[in-house]
Amino acid sequence: MGTFIQLVVDGLATGSIYAALALAIVLVNQATGLINFAQGGMAVLSAYIAYVFVQLGLPLLLAIIISVVLSFLFGALVERFLLRRFERGDPDTAVVVTIGLLTLVTGISAVLWGYNNLAFPSLFPLTSVEILGAVVSVRSLATAVTIVVIMVVLQLLFLRTKLGLALRAVADNPASAAFSGLPVGRLLMVGWGLAATLGAIAGVLVAPQLTLTPGMLDTALVYALAAVILGGLSSPIGCVVAASAIGVLENLVAVYIPLIGHDLKIAVPFALIFVILIIRPQGLFGRKVVVRV
Amino acid sequence: MTLLELTVVTASYGPLQVLDGVSLSVPEGGSVGILGANGAGKTTTLRAISGTVRTGGRIRFDGRDIRGLRPDQVAALGIAHVPEGRGTLGQLSVRENLLVGAYLRKDRKAVAGDIDYCLDLFPQLQDRVGSRAAALSGGEQQMLAVGRAFMAKPKLLLLDEASLGLAPSTAKAVYEAIRRLRLESGIAMLVVEQNANLAFSLVDTATVLETGRNVLTGSSAELKGMDEIRRAYLGG
Amino acid sequence: MSTAATVRRPRVRMILTAVLAVALIAAPLALPAFANQTLIRIGVYAVAVLGLNIVMGYTGQVNLGQIFFVGLGAYVTAYGVNHGWNILLVFFAACAVAGLVGLLVALAAARLGGLAIAMVTIALPIVGVPLAKRLSDFTGGSQGTSARFTDAPDWSGLDNDQWQFYIVLVVSAAAFLLARSLVRGKYGRAFAAVRENEAVAASMGISPYRTKVLAFTIASIFGGASGFLYLAAVQYTSPETLSFGHSISLLAAMVIGGAGSIAGSLLGGAYYVFVPQLTNAIDPNLTTVSQGAILLAVLFLLPGGLVSLPRVVRRLTRRSATRRSTARPAAETSQQTPPAQHPVPDAAPEGPEQTERQDGP
Repeated sequence: MGTFIQLVVDGLATGSIYAALALAIVLVNQATGLINFAQGGMAVLSAYIAYVFVQLGLPLLLAIIISVVLSFLFGALVERFLLRRFERGDPDTAVVVTIGLLTLVTGISAVLWGYNNLAFPSLFPLTSVEILGAVVSVRSLATAVTIVVIMVVLQLLFLRTKLGLALRAVADNPASAAFSGLPVGRLLMVGWGLAATLGAIAGVLVAPQLTLTPGMLDTALVYALAAVILGGLSSPIGCVVAASAIGVLENLVAVYIPLIGHDLKIAVPFALIFVILIIRPQGLFGRKVVVRV
Repeated sequence: MTLLELTVVTASYGPLQVLDGVSLSVPEGGSVGILGANGAGKTTTLRAISGTVRTGGRIRFDGRDIRGLRPDQVAALGIAHVPEGRGTLGQLSVRENLLVGAYLRKDRKAVAGDIDYCLDLFPQLQDRVGSRAAALSGGEQQMLAVGRAFMAKPKLLLLDEASLGLAPSTAKAVYEAIRRLRLESGIAMLVVEQNANLAFSLVDTATVLETGRNVLTGSSAELKGMDEIRRAYLGG
Repeated sequence: MSTAATVRRPRVRMILTAVLAVALIAAPLALPAFANQTLIRIGVYAVAVLGLNIVMGYTGQVNLGQIFFVGLGAYVTAYGVNHGWNILLVFFAACAVAGLVGLLVALAAARLGGLAIAMVTIALPIVGVPLAKRLSDFTGGSQGTSARFTDAPDWSGLDNDQWQFYIVLVVSAAAFLLARSLVRGKYGRAFAAVRENEAVAASMGISPYRTKVLAFTIASIFGGASGFLYLAAVQYTSPETLSFGHSISLLAAMVIGGAGSIAGSLLGGAYYVFVPQLTNAIDPNLTTVSQGAILLAVLFLLPGGLVSLPRVVRRLTRRSATRRSTARPAAETSQQTPPAQHPVPDAAPEGPEQTERQDGP
């Protein structure tokens, strides 16, 4: 039982990381109809930037805040100068652009910091607490809580502020939103900036555990995409639930089903997708994807 | 005083030229109709004004040259476009749609008052302020689109085929509300409408377009009497 | 213009093809081993890129997992060879297993619209690597597995590299001819229809789902064939063969060579082999960043890929020539529209035209 609770909490922590990335992907998709495959790569770059400021002697929290702000700017610039001219065109081309961006960003990380794993300091103490007789690491718990708090903040931003309203309006129908004077271009930049911010937070939270490498989040991106497929592109809550479920499930499967084990646990969400796609093509929560004419 | 003046405006979608020299003017507080058959360039004329199509010629609004501005910049100057197909924001609630209309306004209290005014103008929307716009009927969506445009407190309203796809009685109700809006707010209007009777109920003067050009301009009373015009362009 | 017109004349074309064939057949005898090996590798990857082009370039479905099928083909080949199967059987098994797995993946992935195929296929290499490590009885685990079956037989009097060259030449030439007739025929039209607009394709009686599944399966079969060639050339494969990075490189090669172009696939294969070799020689850390930069540069400046370069150059030179003769800028770039020449057709786009996204149904 102790192991079980520990696995669940750890799973929720990693699941929350996937959820943050998945939300970033949904955010971009809602605003621009694209899937940003570079979301993970950009988040790694953010983590490296925080790392640089830590190396310069800044306190970790300050370094993270600086990185988050820079990530926002980077995300906004990427939208403006890289994706803008592909947004109205063929979505497949735009996807290839984000893959180019992923390669470029990963490459930049590799050129600047190499492929060796770098140790990234943890924001949270590496101690454990006992919950219901199970030993649970504070880091896992705090990571999950942090992500949940950020999601609540984000939800409030979207539902309770004028900026959030404008972002949703642009996501809904950019052409029509412009008729009410909404600066669509700038709002899209904000959307990408927010997505990059979310990614950055996920990056710095998971970096201590995974250690920094340019490809650190490749796998997490794949999990996040799985969560997006399972949760449905139109449903942020669905994605969060799916991401958490994936995090917990893969942990349990890795331990309790030796046939799969730790090395093959990544196949779990995709086996799940495979089954669900056959039964329920619109995902668990989302509406059916409508082909745009 | 002339509020909006188009002088030999041209417009094209890629290689396809749709406007071939359209001229018209809307006086302050006035209401002008654009009539014509399908494909004559009515919708494109409105798009040219709101900056959603590549345009040549001269477009002056409120003493400024506005040709080449982005749609949001045009909107900021006081032109609200109710596009063909309504353009309601389907995932947003009715109230949120109205709030989006007031995006550029800072006077929160007056905005709240204007939302009440919209709901008074379109009583059908009253029970539905919380529901998603996509769940509304076609007529309700049209009302919402007009209401959202009004929320910007524009000087000029561009109204595109507000009767499209509506039952005749609904279309009539929509136009009655718009007429009331015009009387009470004094907003100038440029109206594209297929249904001649509805159009003439709202506009003082009108211009008839044919293949992207004006062929006739006159007061409602003059045009209404011209049988051949009715047959040729207005479909009865 | 004139050179292109000349090339298009059937007799000239036949002669050119014959010259090319003779050159390809003679090349390995004249070239040094290193050059042969490079050409062999180009052939190997050109087949993989060609398959990717069928599903992505022609049918418009982003596939991030093509390398998985290359790896699968390579493993099946190694297994078959090491178990003493007939070499033709090995080849067909490599294609068939890859095609079957591709079919299964596509049956599920193609059910979701839009970008879901990209999102699902990105998992293939990421799941594939640990899977290959795990199934060590079959794959040799992390160590990989080797199989020699392409040493030149004594009777041929050829060196190994020459012999391998001919194997790759035969298979890839067959693949290119097959792909060419495929995309020019009935299926090619279905692919193009689905790429352009699924709803319209459906209204024409073309099932987008079935077309996507078909294109993906064919791409996987080509991937399997490429894997067979890979093993013929390299004689060794390991989980590293099907890594995520390689899959991205394959996609980059396809786009850079030219999406939706048979000749572009060959250029893509050449890019895949040459450019990393070049950047590796300068600084291994530069490989990824330069690939990203080149991919983005191509997308911005040359969306048709390298294969469209001659066309673009021709257009640019012609345009500058026109400009010089008339001293007037091209009309379509200016805001000012020229007055009144062409009458507007009846069906001017008043109704259905949409410059931007509108309300969905």
